[in-house]
Amino acid sequence: MRTPVPLSALTRRRFTQLSGLAIGSLALPGWVRAGTAPDVSLEIAPYTLEASPKHHVKTVAYNGQIPGPLFRMREGQTQSVEIRNMTSEPEIVHWHGLFLPSEIDGAMEEGTPMIAAGASTRYTMTPKPPGFRWYHTHTTAGKNLTKAQYGGLHGLLLVEPRDNPAPYDREVFLGLHDWRGQFLASDDGYMNPVYDVTTINGKMLGHGDPIRVKQGERVLMHILNSSATEVHWISFSGHSFKVVALDGNAVPEPQPVAMLRLAPAERVSAIVEMNNAGVWVLGEVRKHVQATGMGIVVEYANSTGKPVWMQPEELVWNYRLFAKRADAVPDPTIKTINLLFDSKFQGHGNEELWRINGLPYPQNSTPETSPLLQNGRRYRLVMKNKSMDDHPMHLHRHTFEVRRLEDGAEIAGLRKDVVLVHAGGIVEVEFVADNPGKTLFHCHQQDHMDRGFMMVFNYA
Amino acid sequence: MRNPAIAFVTKAALVAAVLLSVRVAAAQGNYEIQVYGADTVSPKTLMTELHSNYTIEGQKYYVNGVIPTNHQEHETLELTEGINDWSEIGFYVFTSEQDGHGVQWVGDHIRPRVRAPDSWHLPVGLSLSTEIGYQRAVYSPDTWTWEIRPIIDKTAGRWYFAVNPALERTWHGPDVNQGLGFSPGTKVGYDFTRVVSGGLEYYADFGRLGAFDSLHQQQQQIFVVTDLNTSPKWEINIGVGVGPTAATDHLIVKGILGRRFDWGRHSAVE
Repeated sequence: MRTPVPLSALTRRRFTQLSGLAIGSLALPGWVRAGTAPDVSLEIAPYTLEASPKHHVKTVAYNGQIPGPLFRMREGQTQSVEIRNMTSEPEIVHWHGLFLPSEIDGAMEEGTPMIAAGASTRYTMTPKPPGFRWYHTHTTAGKNLTKAQYGGLHGLLLVEPRDNPAPYDREVFLGLHDWRGQFLASDDGYMNPVYDVTTINGKMLGHGDPIRVKQGERVLMHILNSSATEVHWISFSGHSFKVVALDGNAVPEPQPVAMLRLAPAERVSAIVEMNNAGVWVLGEVRKHVQATGMGIVVEYANSTGKPVWMQPEELVWNYRLFAKRADAVPDPTIKTINLLFDSKFQGHGNEELWRINGLPYPQNSTPETSPLLQNGRRYRLVMKNKSMDDHPMHLHRHTFEVRRLEDGAEIAGLRKDVVLVHAGGIVEVEFVADNPGKTLFHCHQQDHMDRGFMMVFNYA
Repeated sequence: MRNPAIAFVTKAALVAAVLLSVRVAAAQGNYEIQVYGADTVSPKTLMTELHSNYTIEGQKYYVNGVIPTNHQEHETLELTEGINDWSEIGFYVFTSEQDGHGVQWVGDHIRPRVRAPDSWHLPVGLSLSTEIGYQRAVYSPDTWTWEIRPIIDKTAGRWYFAVNPALERTWHGPDVNQGLGFSPGTKVGYDFTRVVSGGLEYYADFGRLGAFDSLHQQQQQIFVVTDLNTSPKWEINIGVGVGPTAATDHLIVKGILGRRFDWGRHSAVE
């Protein structure tokens, strides 16, 4: 008789070996048996990105493009999915922001089988909730800053809402990414990835097609930060953004802002009124980042000339702007889960070992150490960041409501799946445990998650 | 197109090879006891360091008119300004205090340095320093000297390694015809905690390149040191060194206190 192997005891290599068996043993979806083409077909294969004629990056991509293809789906309408892995490494596709079963959500830690090199997988999924989502690799990079999310393996997904969050004339999708990273010791001795090349939709400023607009248009911009590690600040010279959704979820208080801040994996959807004709730059606010390429030209019809950049003088962003005020009324039915983030020093020539409640993954995800969720119950995650880094925290397969920010005041109505917890700060979010199955909670900074900053929540 | 950093380093090395034809002074300085790391000071940043070295047991007699080093207290002010992200320039003021001699100015040095830029993606830190300066004859018989110092370092986990295979020559003084001298320095450090590192530093002067002095005449020193990484702005290094050969001061304590001053005008955005 074989002894079951607990998931936390599996190595990634062993899991990959098992995953081929798992795929082979799954009952094939009806659309496969019927021989029809899948709604979503992804091929993962080597690709050379030309960020500019002088900047080429050898990486892997979905369907030979970066970002991968934009998929538009209807909420609740079942999609057939086929993924072929044409690379020499195991792969896995995470559908970020969707409420999917653990088996196909796309995290090995939750039990999704990895796709072995040269293998393929097929399944069906029912996309929800509506909004701007994305899909990306969920592999480990370690010290190789060309792999996993460093390699830019991601694509865009829009689950069409029944009602749009705001009226608009057209949509524009923008993906921010950092390339060619290397670990450098920062002034205080920490290992910190720095990047030579930054892009919007895979192109450095001045090297892609401009966004062509017309006077008077209302453009709904969906912006994703797919960087493995970097927070980005984006402004659009001569214009403002009216933020209507964060992480694809409509905000209760849409507000115009001069710039956007996007932590890794965050998305912002904002309406831009094209009311200032000219040729402008939309790009990273920090000059040293924009100088590495993160920008795109926006060109009005019948306008010519050199693109204009107006340098903002300060960085301004606060989640609170888009939330409702709330009273701090204790609700005894909500169960609190305290999560303490810190790190263990491993030498100035090493990255930190990241820990949640004193333990790194997988030691923190055993039945004795990880939270056990009751289906249907509401939980409050109290995230206390005792480290010296900011952390974009992501909860798989659920959406949470941000309830308290670092300054301590209660807010409501802001639903997200990633929230940035600043160094030394405390952020509290609430979610309803309504999607049974293993649920991964982790820092979306690739070097942090690779070094233990994950935890699996289990349902009772 | 050639990288300007490569061109600069190449030219510097060529000029050094031509000019370094004469052996440097063998007199022991002990004004700045430090194994250099490869990193340079950031642009628009001034690094100020005070090197405090006290010879507990050193040379007790005048040799060739040079004041004995025993119980000398050396205070050296080092100012280093970052030029760009791959070069810096340092300036030294050497002083000595001793019973019977009071506080004396000893000399000054200037030290430009370049390093391999991060964009080269080298597996080790690599830089090249050159130091030119004057010291009074009562403290060093060779008054004008020049040093060229390659610097290689590597941090691996908790370990830190640095090697400075320095070459020296004398421009003016009794050793002006002695050719190139080989004066390496090495360091091995270990991070005990985030703040406290400890290790060994080794300094030597083997004498003329190709015709080393006998071990008895070589300078050989080993320091037990600790580095305290209390803040990115501060540098603290403390050590005790022994010199087992006749030509070496036998017991020295040293300390380095450094502070970075960022004088650049930064916008809130950056």
